[in-house]
Amino acid sequence: MFSNLEFFIVEAFRSFRRGAIMTLVAIGTISVSLVIFGMFLLLIINMGNIVSTISSKMDITAYVEKDISLESAGALQLELSKIPGVEKVDFVSRTEAWRQFKEDFGSRLTLDELVLSNPLPHSFAVAVRNPDLLPSIAKHISKIELVDEVRYSGKLIDQVKSLVDAVRVGGAALIILISFATLLIVVNTVRLTVLAREDDIYIMKLVGATNTFVKWPFIIEGVMIGVIGGFVSFMVAKFAYDAIIMRVSHALPFVPVVSDPRLLGFVYLSMVAGGMAVGMLGAYISVSKVLKAEGE
Amino acid sequence: MISLTNVSKTFPNGIDVLFNINLHIGKEEFVFIVGPSGAGKTTLMKLLYREESPSAGKVVVDRVNVAELDKNQVPYLRRNIGVVFQDYKLLPRRTVYENVAFALRVTGAVRSTVRRKVMQSLELVGLLRRANSFPDELSGGEKQRACIARAIVNNPPILIADEPTGNLDPTTSRDILQLLDKINKRKTTVLMATHNKSIVDDMKRRVVALEAGRIVRDQMLGGYDV
Repeated sequence: MFSNLEFFIVEAFRSFRRGAIMTLVAIGTISVSLVIFGMFLLLIINMGNIVSTISSKMDITAYVEKDISLESAGALQLELSKIPGVEKVDFVSRTEAWRQFKEDFGSRLTLDELVLSNPLPHSFAVAVRNPDLLPSIAKHISKIELVDEVRYSGKLIDQVKSLVDAVRVGGAALIILISFATLLIVVNTVRLTVLAREDDIYIMKLVGATNTFVKWPFIIEGVMIGVIGGFVSFMVAKFAYDAIIMRVSHALPFVPVVSDPRLLGFVYLSMVAGGMAVGMLGAYISVSKVLKAEGE
Repeated sequence: MISLTNVSKTFPNGIDVLFNINLHIGKEEFVFIVGPSGAGKTTLMKLLYREESPSAGKVVVDRVNVAELDKNQVPYLRRNIGVVFQDYKLLPRRTVYENVAFALRVTGAVRSTVRRKVMQSLELVGLLRRANSFPDELSGGEKQRACIARAIVNNPPILIADEPTGNLDPTTSRDILQLLDKINKRKTTVLMATHNKSIVDDMKRRVVALEAGRIVRDQMLGGYDV
């Protein structure tokens, strides 16, 4: 078997080099397909991330009267946290709110020139356990004496919820569809490299090679084409995505972009692994078809 | 060694190529199959190594009924039958050595055995000094020698040659026939289809004549014509 393995690998490399143009076409096709696949996967992941960021930020903001003392603020915080369904209450001082506001938008406006003093009140960020409770809790809070104004993104809740579902279901369906399209393209491309060597297959069969023996070099070649294609697509996708991250975080700083190296690593790895899988599957399907066409 | 009983073959498109063929060939015989193009010579030979299956009848090669052979067993049948073609069917990007070695490697033979057997085979056909040439660099006769070397490298008990001299000049054809004769004397059954009258007449071997899919003559020490 060891000797056969050597033969398979030598044969695979040989045909890999020999059909250089066909091999390059196959690698190119796999790369392009996988780049599309990978970028789409990243798009879906980012949409999911944006949606979950929005829904996690769905809390109630309770603005209080401007001249409230710190003691009554403390008492108010305790009172708010005792409301059933409230998970966490954070005090946001007007200084802190102003600083945050300037940090978010300050690069675009020179606020200090436009507004001389801090116009913001103190506020409490009230996080709830379940977004469904938002309306009733908001109503409860608005009745408290020291509270000036209550805001929460009520209408957004339903929209965000249906968006979450749409992204999840639609994204999964599209990923399956794109995977299938990628597989079809790759199978047909690898098929060309196999068809280019029908004579070899005919001779191999004639001199008594078993079907298994004929298949192995092609499968190894398919894996090599797939892995190289996957690697090229990984490089392209990483380069493109890194550039996009940089642009987006500059131009749209409030849009959360997925940059978790573990998650990105998973995406890139799945591209290389996917390339290997489709290359192998493509070669297997193609060579099986040719063998079948040759009869027995 | 080879035995066809009531064999008929109709192609899927409805064309009949062989009718009720009965033919028995003993061990170490040398048999010419003669007849005009389209008489069914090639199909008859393809039945032996199961490139075609008969529509009716029994094809027995080396005690195995080829027609009913399981698909998985076909490769092992073929290792016992060497095949030589008019158009050589050498792989163009491989040297002579590699072409011959290829036939052994696909049977799973190890490298050292391959080397020894390929060298023996090339020596037998007189092509040792051309071992590292590519098919393009060979003359017609040399290509046919390479093809024969590939066919016999596995020491098959049967050698089938389908018009092996079809593309060769008379002198070269005679050389090839001498080579096939030499292989036959090494206890290999040789079956050769040909149009070449002078060769058949010279060799004085058994001649089976086919016409329109039927055996019209089967003569020991025969000539091309009656």
